[in-house]
Amino acid sequence: MEFEMERFITALVDRSPPHALEHLQLVLIPLFIAFIIAFPVAVILTRQRFIKYTDRVMAFFSMGQTIPPLAVIAIFFPFLGLGRTPALFALTIYALLPIARNTLAGLKGVPRDVKEAARGMGMSEWEMLFRVEIPLSMPVVMAGVKISVVLTSGTAALGALVGGGGMGAVIFAGIDFFRAELIIAGTLIIAAIAIILDRLLSLIDNMLTPPHMKM
Amino acid sequence: MIRLDKVDKVFPGASAPAVDQVSFQVDEGNICVFVGPSGCGKTTILRMINRLVEPTGGDIYIKGQKVSDRGVNPDHLRRKIGYVIQQIGLMPHRTIEQNVALVPRLLKWPENKIMPRVKHLLEMVGLEPDEVSKKYPHQLSGGMMQRVGVARALAADPPIMLMDEPFGAVDPIVRGRLQDEFLRLQKEMKKTICFVTHDINEAIKMGDHIVIMNKGKLVQHGTPMEILSNPIDDFVKNLIGTDRETKLLELTKSEEMVTQTEEIPTEVSEKDCFIMAVDPVQRALEAMMKKDADIVGVKDGDKFIGTISWEDIKKHINRISGDEA
Repeated sequence: MEFEMERFITALVDRSPPHALEHLQLVLIPLFIAFIIAFPVAVILTRQRFIKYTDRVMAFFSMGQTIPPLAVIAIFFPFLGLGRTPALFALTIYALLPIARNTLAGLKGVPRDVKEAARGMGMSEWEMLFRVEIPLSMPVVMAGVKISVVLTSGTAALGALVGGGGMGAVIFAGIDFFRAELIIAGTLIIAAIAIILDRLLSLIDNMLTPPHMKM
Repeated sequence: MIRLDKVDKVFPGASAPAVDQVSFQVDEGNICVFVGPSGCGKTTILRMINRLVEPTGGDIYIKGQKVSDRGVNPDHLRRKIGYVIQQIGLMPHRTIEQNVALVPRLLKWPENKIMPRVKHLLEMVGLEPDEVSKKYPHQLSGGMMQRVGVARALAADPPIMLMDEPFGAVDPIVRGRLQDEFLRLQKEMKKTICFVTHDINEAIKMGDHIVIMNKGKLVQHGTPMEILSNPIDDFVKNLIGTDRETKLLELTKSEEMVTQTEEIPTEVSEKDCFIMAVDPVQRALEAMMKKDADIVGVKDGDKFIGTISWEDIKKHINRISGDEA
């Protein structure tokens, strides 16, 4: 395989940007949906009444992580067909576990004495949750979101295989036509997307982290 | 003020009850100290009063009202009861100011009432408001955090305070100081306080009333004097320790033992051996040893009121400890 600088630059500047935008959607939409599902579920699983279901629900999330996204698409092909929807669906399932796991870990890590005192002061269960438990577990939760972002950024390349678009389209074109320039350009942009999103989340993370937990 | 009536608590899966048929009463404005070895049920009793733990039997009353009444919301009940624990449990993500303001905010006090109250409380527990208000708990020393813990519990001026080894996490010197300051505060506040400790000396120092617990049962209760002078069994005797007599002397004020005379004995004036009427008798002994005297003069302010002699003290000890010499 040869490498031509001119072709590489065309791939990077002309060909990639629309796909990059698609790719960004393939990362952010599943991430958002996964957060909306995994975070509340994990919070519920730490409530006294629901602790007993933790193992079962987490096993389900783990399964989502172990089944390859392509297999998920294959399984749901009869219902969802091909294109963007099954790609988003598979990526959402893929992003659930890190967020759920870290939310659980974060909430369990809230010091017992702080919770005891908060209850003793007369905080209701809701007040405890929103004023004590969630703020104190935020750094760990955000770490989970960041893991999901990086995972999803890479995996979203597979979306192109089922017609979901994204940077995968550029990479797979490069593979089909033996064009190293396309493969490298696509990979670089995916890496850049992962890094930029991770940095952006770090900013949010920093805003949400309680002062005493900052380095 | 607070009354327990045959209260039981059996934790699920436990073979023996954690609290077994305990009844007693804490009078308004008193400090009642629960003392006993770990696992004796003292903390459980405390936590049942504010319903962090629900009893399996018996009733608890505050000002005549059953705390387990259906009309009582446990969260609202707790907001009216100050709560201090050994681990303090300050909110690490909130400033000292916000920590102290916690209960007033839960009670929806107007904001303009809260800040002056916080400032007043921090001053009351011996902290400099300007210095600590904006700090976070991890920036404070252990002793300062304990003070904040007490200030937070006092914030909404609850008539009742529950304190679970509140001075247990600091070194003995700081503990002694916190105890003294708290007793001084209590003289003005007149709160009804339930206080848990495993340290009998702390119990004697802090308590108007002492409840001794063992294995979930109430073993003996009474004033410190009653318990020291008349321990009911070997368990209580062991708990008090071998220095029962000196503890008694610490509890007895000199004025209670003074032999009143007008005239100052020559030995006293020669050796300049005086103590104050409010000093414990212990101080009389110390003075005797220091000045190598057998008798000390007792003053009330500047006025000489009488003497205490070595013989008086010996007789006093023998009388209250029950073995006539």
